[in-house]
Amino acid sequence: MLTLSRVSRRYGETTALDGVDFVVPENTYMSLLGASGSGKTTLLRLIAGFEEPDQGEISIDGERIDGQPPHLRDIGFVFQNFALFPHLTVAQNVSYGLRYRANAPVSNENEIKDRTESVLSLVGLSGFGHRAISAISGGQRQRVALARTMICEPRVILLDEPLGALDANLRARMCDELKAIRERLKVSFLHVTGSETEALTMGDKVAVLSGGKIVQSDAPDTLFSHPNNVDAARHLNAWNIFEAGLCGPAMGQGTVAVRFDQIDVSAEGEVPDGRPWLRAKYLTGEFNGPTALSFFRAEDGTLLQVIDHLSQPRLPDMVEGQHYDLHFAPDAARQFHGAA
Amino acid sequence: MTALSTDTPTKPTHSPAELREKQDRRRAMGLLTPGLLWMSLFMVLPMCMVVYVSFWTQTTFAVESTLTTASWERFLSSSTYLSAIGTTLRVWAIVLVATVVVGYPVALFIGLFVRNKTFQTALLVACVIPFWTSFLIRVIAWRPMLGTEGAINVILMKLGIISEPLTFLLFSEFSVLVGMTQIYCVFMVGPITFMLGRIDPSVIEAARDLGASFGTIFRRIILPLSLPGVMVGSIFVSVMVLGEFATAASLSGRKVNLLGNIIVSQVGSLKWAFAAVAGVVLTIIITAVIALALRIVDLRKEM
Amino acid sequence: MQSRILRPTLAIYTAAFLLFLYGPMIVLAILSFQSSDGGPQFPIRDWSIYWYQHLLGLTETSRVSQLPVGDSLLRSILLAFMTTVVSTILGVMSAEAFRTKFKGSGPAFYLIILGMMVPGVLVGLGMALLSNTLGIGRAWWGTSFVLHVVYTYPFAFLVMLAIFNRFDRSVEEASLSLGVSPAQTFRRVTFPIIFPGVLSAMLFSFTLSYDEFSRTLFTIGSQLTLPLAIYGTFSVEIYPNIFAFGVLTTLFSFTLLVIYGLLMKRFTAKAARFKGQEEN
Repeated sequence: MLTLSRVSRRYGETTALDGVDFVVPENTYMSLLGASGSGKTTLLRLIAGFEEPDQGEISIDGERIDGQPPHLRDIGFVFQNFALFPHLTVAQNVSYGLRYRANAPVSNENEIKDRTESVLSLVGLSGFGHRAISAISGGQRQRVALARTMICEPRVILLDEPLGALDANLRARMCDELKAIRERLKVSFLHVTGSETEALTMGDKVAVLSGGKIVQSDAPDTLFSHPNNVDAARHLNAWNIFEAGLCGPAMGQGTVAVRFDQIDVSAEGEVPDGRPWLRAKYLTGEFNGPTALSFFRAEDGTLLQVIDHLSQPRLPDMVEGQHYDLHFAPDAARQFHGAA
Repeated sequence: MTALSTDTPTKPTHSPAELREKQDRRRAMGLLTPGLLWMSLFMVLPMCMVVYVSFWTQTTFAVESTLTTASWERFLSSSTYLSAIGTTLRVWAIVLVATVVVGYPVALFIGLFVRNKTFQTALLVACVIPFWTSFLIRVIAWRPMLGTEGAINVILMKLGIISEPLTFLLFSEFSVLVGMTQIYCVFMVGPITFMLGRIDPSVIEAARDLGASFGTIFRRIILPLSLPGVMVGSIFVSVMVLGEFATAASLSGRKVNLLGNIIVSQVGSLKWAFAAVAGVVLTIIITAVIALALRIVDLRKEM
Repeated sequence: MQSRILRPTLAIYTAAFLLFLYGPMIVLAILSFQSSDGGPQFPIRDWSIYWYQHLLGLTETSRVSQLPVGDSLLRSILLAFMTTVVSTILGVMSAEAFRTKFKGSGPAFYLIILGMMVPGVLVGLGMALLSNTLGIGRAWWGTSFVLHVVYTYPFAFLVMLAIFNRFDRSVEEASLSLGVSPAQTFRRVTFPIIFPGVLSAMLFSFTLSYDEFSRTLFTIGSQLTLPLAIYGTFSVEIYPNIFAFGVLTTLFSFTLLVIYGLLMKRFTAKAARFKGQEEN
């Protein structure tokens, strides 16, 4: 179990991480969702030991690891650009850690060869061992990077946007493979990403990093349907977030979040009884295949989105520039108090 | 892994980040120390020694460490030595201007007009190849070129342009200037070409489409962007020309005395204190020139 | 468009410039084949290789004394080699240090760079004065050697700085994250990747040291290096034997350059061989 408590990191005047409390349980695929510049890469670098925190503690199974040099932490790291050793072959890349590590290096060539081959076959690269790094594709490099890390059997594997450098097709396939590989290894993965779909698909648990803090860490479905705060809701890219005051006194004070798919639209003054509503101008629509997205502007300027599934259309015909009433079930709204 | 916890710093006053920073700094200092020590012992210390000895007392064949300004007074009251300063500055200024004037069009051609990378590289290599000949040989090569029976006179006489060989070509200030310009020109061509090569051709293309003449494009785009290259080249050329003595010794027939030649001849006659005075004067001139250049261009950024 | 006139003009100018650059050497090469009774100028009395034989000591007694080439050549090569090793090591270490930001990096940078800026006569003079005062004997392997390093180390440093600027640090971090110590990481990852750069730094250092004479002049003692042997002929009359010598040293330098080129090619060829497998 990897534990971070009150971890902070500052660069001069800017604070990258501000008291992060975070737990990665055993044998878990943990996704860490954060916008670019949210400090998610910094968080990984602190755990791996490439940088050290200004405050706070990082520990694995109760043993403190901050302050230890990176090569003694026994933590795997998969880089966004893969960072393979360009002067070595695929097999040499993979066996590198076994051969040269400071703790318990393996010198038996047969053992090295067997373990290299078995881990290469685990990532689907059997027979690629003799190739140069420059002679394999992006997806294959990704697998080499993973194999190279896995062969050392680290306590945790950190993945820094590992799919970022791959094209969309490959990304979808690697998603499944990463999950499958992790399940076979029974080691915890901490996968950092800026994409909410990637985070939700991959993670057994998803944590949201915002403003230098972990704002929520939950199972993906819980997180998606019950974000605990405005920051978490905003990162999911599925929630409209607006001032409660827009719906009149009915909603009281604070901020309200309603999911894109749980808002209904009707002509002005035709809202069914018992449903909170707000008035908004229809801007435009966007057709995305199985779904259609409609954009509205609330009276205080907030942009609102409504998703309509083609199989169950529920929106009326709308004219751009006209005002409509947007309404939702009272229990569909999540209400937060305090600053948005 | 647990055994390693003894390494973990226990001092609560320092955060791991501070400790890591300290450790990185210590490592950097450790790596840098031998080099800086070498430079301090074998460059800074000798230079200090030059300044120090310039105040020593010069006897006929030796120096004594009794401090005096006698050497300085002699230097500054001698018209021969003062004119050496003048000659040094004149030769420096002329060669600097000559290298820019001769080198700039070449850099312009290689850096901007040649768009074929291979040809560009080939031209640059052609400029650099002479450097694999010994510097002294390159200096001496001007003698059979410029002498009264040298190549230029022979050709000019064969062509009937002149009837008597030109004597001012060799063993004159002219030959020193030509020799230095040829030898140091490449140090000007290189940096300027590098800077010109960084200009995005589409910028010039766009200016041309807007109807700008080449004169305007040159003045507004090419010249400003190549100026850092000219400055870097000027630093190289200045530093080398100001410290020169071999070219003058070989090609001027002792008619041109630079500060460098003064130092060499004074050392030859064991007038150490006097050589040191000339050395300090030279140092002051070079420092002034570099300081001026560095004020205009940040060397660390350009490299 | 003016470039229709400008371009050919500049091309012709550049050609003339190259002639200016090579002219003296070409004339020198031609005159090196002067006959034994000819002087260091035109006309060529008769074509011969007399002065090459003279240089190598293959001629009978001559009115011209032989150039002291043999020993001084060996000394120069040895000195250049020592200088190359030390300045490359110092250059790599310093450039590595400059990868971390630290206070005082500006002054440290300029202190190193100063080594290539300070005129040779000045440090040479200073070193001579220092050795006089301290009573240290002057020798090519001592006083001259340390000054050669002062001169070439900044070049090696700048080359390595440029190499490290393009170096992807995450490769080293990857090695650390695999449990490999910083020292092993340098040996197994960093060094192999920067090796072509190291080779360039070595070539730079060797060439500069091999041809260096203004720093050597006051610090050499009695055993001369090659450039000083040539410099000795400056004051006296010159003979075509020095031209022959110029041609030979140039050829020698090109041999070194070719060796360097072959070494570099071996590395690129290795990469190309692996690349070739992609097509299979």
